[in-house]
Amino acid sequence: MKKLIFVLILIISSFSFAEINVVTTTTIIYDLVKQVGKDKVKVDYLCRGDQDPHFLEVMPSYMLKLRNADLVFKIGLDLEKWLPQLIDGSRNDKLTLIDLSEGVDKKEVPTKKMDASYGDIHPYGNPHYYLDPSDAKIMIEEIYDALVNESPGDELFFKKNMNDYLSKLDEKINEWNSKMAKVKGKPIVFFHSSWIYFADHYGIRIAGYVEPKPGIPPTPSHNAEIIQLVKKAGIKAIIMENFYDDSAPNQISQITGANVIKVPVGVYGVSGIDSYIQMIDYIVNSIIQNV
Amino acid sequence: MIKYHVVLIFLLISLIGYSQSNINPDISLIGTFNTFTNNIKGTPEYGKINFETPEVELFVDGYLNPYSKAVGNIAYEEGEFSVEELYAEIVRGLPLDMQIKAGKYLVGFGQLNIFHPHAWAFIERPLFHQIFFSPEGFNDIGFNFSFILPTENFYSNFDIGIFRGETFLESEIINSPILFEGRGNSPIVVSRLGTFFPLSDYSNLAIGLDGSYGIYSKALINTLGDSTADLQSNSLTYAYAGIDFKYKFKPDDYTALVIQGEGLLNNRKVARYGEEGINIPIENINTITTYGAFFYVDYLFEKQYSFGAKYDYTYGIIGDEPDYNLLANDDQNTTQGISAWIGYYPVEETLAFRLGVQHLIFNYADGTKRDGETTATLQMIFSLGPHKAHPF
Repeated sequence: MKKLIFVLILIISSFSFAEINVVTTTTIIYDLVKQVGKDKVKVDYLCRGDQDPHFLEVMPSYMLKLRNADLVFKIGLDLEKWLPQLIDGSRNDKLTLIDLSEGVDKKEVPTKKMDASYGDIHPYGNPHYYLDPSDAKIMIEEIYDALVNESPGDELFFKKNMNDYLSKLDEKINEWNSKMAKVKGKPIVFFHSSWIYFADHYGIRIAGYVEPKPGIPPTPSHNAEIIQLVKKAGIKAIIMENFYDDSAPNQISQITGANVIKVPVGVYGVSGIDSYIQMIDYIVNSIIQNV
Repeated sequence: MIKYHVVLIFLLISLIGYSQSNINPDISLIGTFNTFTNNIKGTPEYGKINFETPEVELFVDGYLNPYSKAVGNIAYEEGEFSVEELYAEIVRGLPLDMQIKAGKYLVGFGQLNIFHPHAWAFIERPLFHQIFFSPEGFNDIGFNFSFILPTENFYSNFDIGIFRGETFLESEIINSPILFEGRGNSPIVVSRLGTFFPLSDYSNLAIGLDGSYGIYSKALINTLGDSTADLQSNSLTYAYAGIDFKYKFKPDDYTALVIQGEGLLNNRKVARYGEEGINIPIENINTITTYGAFFYVDYLFEKQYSFGAKYDYTYGIIGDEPDYNLLANDDQNTTQGISAWIGYYPVEETLAFRLGVQHLIFNYADGTKRDGETTATLQMIFSLGPHKAHPF
């Protein structure tokens, strides 16, 4: 009888220590999953923080990461066009795909027929919602739901972690809101059309983009238009993701005096940025110091 | 010709019907247009600007169900429609995580053959592909079974397939003084061991070993040189062994250095004439061993520009008509190729321009002198439709 009880305890304890294998498409999701799952998830990511998540090469090493995963989280809205090929290559038929855009209020959803003449348009809406900290809260809740669904026995553990993190995030959101109040209504030029959620949250006016159309490389004629715009509106900053080529923004900067601000939009995007909160801290501080 | 038009019209009608459903397959159209000139004296193209008929590939692909996908590729090349690829693939749900691919497709011998030429960094097909596979590469009909191997620290896979031998059917035996029965119904086997090693966050290395074995023809030969003797049927077998590697260094999204090479060792039985017999030559079965290889470097910079160079070496003379020895049976003569190119990619993979030059050097064992041939090609490629992620 004692042996039976011992075996039962052993089995139960082994279940309670079972890890959920998670792979995330980006390092931002990676950080958020770690905050909720802590030591009950084993998590890895595909796209590095210093890489453009629009484009990732289909490499067998990524398939290997997905091979033993239980869950894969993605930003969605057609950002990770490379993911289906990796999932197919992993041959993992038990993998559950979680699209974190489900609960997000989507922006820039095309209302008319779009084609490639408009640039690299995302047909389901702009996928860069993760730059709005309020949307990070929605992502956290989606992550919590998925983890509970995978391991219902750990619901209380995940809930406590989620609530702890949401409290911390709320404090930071208040801090960021007050810091960014000084730039509210100010015009800023961005490089790529990935800042609509961030700009709306902080009341920043997007004056223009260095890219003539989403995903289309800068052209001399468009640079000239941006130079005129920056001069006319007295724009003080050009904000860009640190994985884009800064040649065109630097040209504009040399002529207009506007500051080029290169920021990470992924965790580990630059050395010392090890969490989502640190990343938004970096972006907010860079903006308020330069605008 | 008519049947291909019927197939195409049927396919288009099917697509229109299919596209009205809720679940659409992806449809892409790839167009290629080449303009070239050469220094090959005696040819109508010599020294002139020649415009090739544009080539088109219509790709349709999508999921059939949660476990399998299907791909169709109708090509219009040199004024004719053809079914370039048509296959289904079970990608998940099978025991041992096996994937099964069945139909007509580019066979996974080496790393380059599975990609369509528009996806290559250069313009011309590697010379040994043209000699040992076909001018269109190794495209065959059959089944392929793919397994991921349980190596923990790196990715490795093993593929084995059985095919009709379509590639060898295309190498017609013409002008033959030796009687051939053709291949008959003799399947060929192709296998591949692929490995992939991430060397750092910015560099990766893939290495592969390949093999293929089968009967490429059957010869009715007279081993006595006696015209009254019965002819003996001999299966002419071939064995290919291949090795390939690809190294890529990609420090950022704008720059990439690719170094890639492949080699093939060809061992096969060939029907040859021996000494004079009683009243006709004695015919023998000999075994020959030949090889071919290529190696190239391509450098992409500022995301929009590339340049590179390739060196090719192969047994066989490029451009020769296959005779009774077949081109792949030529163990006397060789061709070398030196190529260079520059590429311009204005916006991602939607449009590409390439300017390439290839110089061929011919070496004949009997001392025949032949001038080298240089061809310069300007190529434009467009891609209409959804763009798949770049494979390594």
